Amino acid sequence: MVTLSDELAQAVVDLDQDKVVELVKKRLDSGVPALEIVAKLQEGMTEVGKLFETGEYYLSELIMAGEIMKEVMVDLEPHLAGDTGEHRGNIVIGTVKGDVHDLGKNIVVMLLKGAGFNVIDLGVDVPKEKFVEAIKEYNAPLVGMSVLLTAALESMKETVAAVKAAGLGTKVIIGGPFMDEKVKEYCGADFYATNASDGVKAAEEVFGKN
Amino acid sequence: MSTDKLKLYEERKKRYLTALECGKPDRVPVVITGNEFIIKYAGFTLQDFYYNPEINYIKAMDAFLQRYDVDAHFGAPMLWWGGLHDAVGAVYLKFAGRELDVNTQFQYIEGEYMQPEDYDAFIENPTEWIVTTFLPRIHKEFAEPGSYRASIALMKGAIARTLELGMLAKAAERWAKEYGSFTAITGISKAPFDTLGDTLRGLKGIMMDIRRIPDKVKAAMEVLVEHNIFYGLATAGGDTEFPVFIPLHRGAYPFLNPKQWDEFYWPTLKKVIEGLWAKGKRTLFYAEGDWTPYLEKIAELPEKSIVFHVDQTDIDKAKKILGGRFCLKGNVPNSLLAIGKPDEVKDYVKRLIDTYAADGGFIVDAAAVIQADADPRNVEAMVEAVHLYGKY
Repeated sequence: MVTLSDELAQAVVDLDQDKVVELVKKRLDSGVPALEIVAKLQEGMTEVGKLFETGEYYLSELIMAGEIMKEVMVDLEPHLAGDTGEHRGNIVIGTVKGDVHDLGKNIVVMLLKGAGFNVIDLGVDVPKEKFVEAIKEYNAPLVGMSVLLTAALESMKETVAAVKAAGLGTKVIIGGPFMDEKVKEYCGADFYATNASDGVKAAEEVFGKN
Repeated sequence: MSTDKLKLYEERKKRYLTALECGKPDRVPVVITGNEFIIKYAGFTLQDFYYNPEINYIKAMDAFLQRYDVDAHFGAPMLWWGGLHDAVGAVYLKFAGRELDVNTQFQYIEGEYMQPEDYDAFIENPTEWIVTTFLPRIHKEFAEPGSYRASIALMKGAIARTLELGMLAKAAERWAKEYGSFTAITGISKAPFDTLGDTLRGLKGIMMDIRRIPDKVKAAMEVLVEHNIFYGLATAGGDTEFPVFIPLHRGAYPFLNPKQWDEFYWPTLKKVIEGLWAKGKRTLFYAEGDWTPYLEKIAELPEKSIVFHVDQTDIDKAKKILGGRFCLKGNVPNSLLAIGKPDEVKDYVKRLIDTYAADGGFIVDAAAVIQADADPRNVEAMVEAVHLYGKY
């Protein structure tokens, strides 16, 4: 496990909740810009994602990291108002209609945000029209669709078709435990992922490494 | 029961039980875990079967058992009776035809229905805590325990449950008599970690708790061990011929890291399985997801005390580590049943049988519960392939 030079980023990697909360507060109090603090948190999250990819971290660690982020973002958000900062591009994501499972989606959202993307999370049980609207509104080059139930496969296929029919050139990645080449082809998607790390890799491919 | 149905029943039972004992029957058994697929195949809406027991227990099962020559099934497709849960105002379930479209699968709304500060009361007296705190939280009709409304709701719920079990018992007689068919399992139970993590604290809650209040999590699970053993036997009506169904969730890879798995998931699950086995009750270890990293640990269970269901677990490794010790069951992929071709399904089943079933102790089933997306021709191909290639 690498050691990050920044204490806050390292505290995220260590999942040391008390220390993260304390450092964020200390830095805010001493006038460090909120965006700079967020960047350090993201640095920590990116490392957490890498550790998950290499099998050193499990979902329990990812969930914990997500909770820590959620807690400190409550303090940080008022300071971020109007200051959107820079990001690497917009990604629309959601669990397709007919399915309400969001664990996989939430983890990939967390890692994508950590990697510097602006993620528009539409939630669960999302109708295809909503996906198309959001892609248009945010001019998103990539859309992610999540599913756990095989019963929602048809719904995913229809959603991919609706996105492709909108003719915006949007790339589509589908994610879920039973995804493979065959399911990807069946749904007409461009990428598939069975875990969050593969989702981030596809985003890197679409947006280009920075 | 007519003699030919009785004969069929006995043949299938012998085949199934022999495989459970790791033996070699006359043919590899095939079991179907059907659920929503059965309803769709029979031509009903999902609303029909969540709300109409006649369709669930009789009509849909008739259609299914007439077409599919399976050695055992998983009972009527309905997991939750909408009418019962409406009567008590369940807030954690949504059903087709009420909150959802008529053909949308039921939804379980996960939440932290138990709070971290509830642990002490739960550990002290779980039943009292459930009745006075938990039930009121998850049912609108129990919101004020002891009130007139709550008392009526308790009666309605209890009556509905009794009705449901009565219908099930009658249906089971019918399946035996008309089709020589039976359910592959009797009773249901859970891993103590899942009782806490699925229903009470939710996934996020339990994942926080194992870091923040590990001792309370362990104490609560210890309390649940005896309860879950008892529940498995009680819901089976004392039967020990067939295995108890234990669907396993949060222990799948990669939810917990290996240290957490060893410390939190495994010890109490092992106690439940061993406790059931001590009373002669075998467990259907329904390992949803991937359990490959834990196979060596699972192999420590008493010989034949489980049937190991393979979903996304590496089946080569499962065979190598568990084969001969426990019967294996699985693993025709559900995506293949949904979008594959019948010939592809047949090839898959043939390969399964050739590679893993040669020395007995193997049952063919889908990898996971079959939902409404499966193509009936593919399900038929799965059953046919077993009849075709499965003879010993």
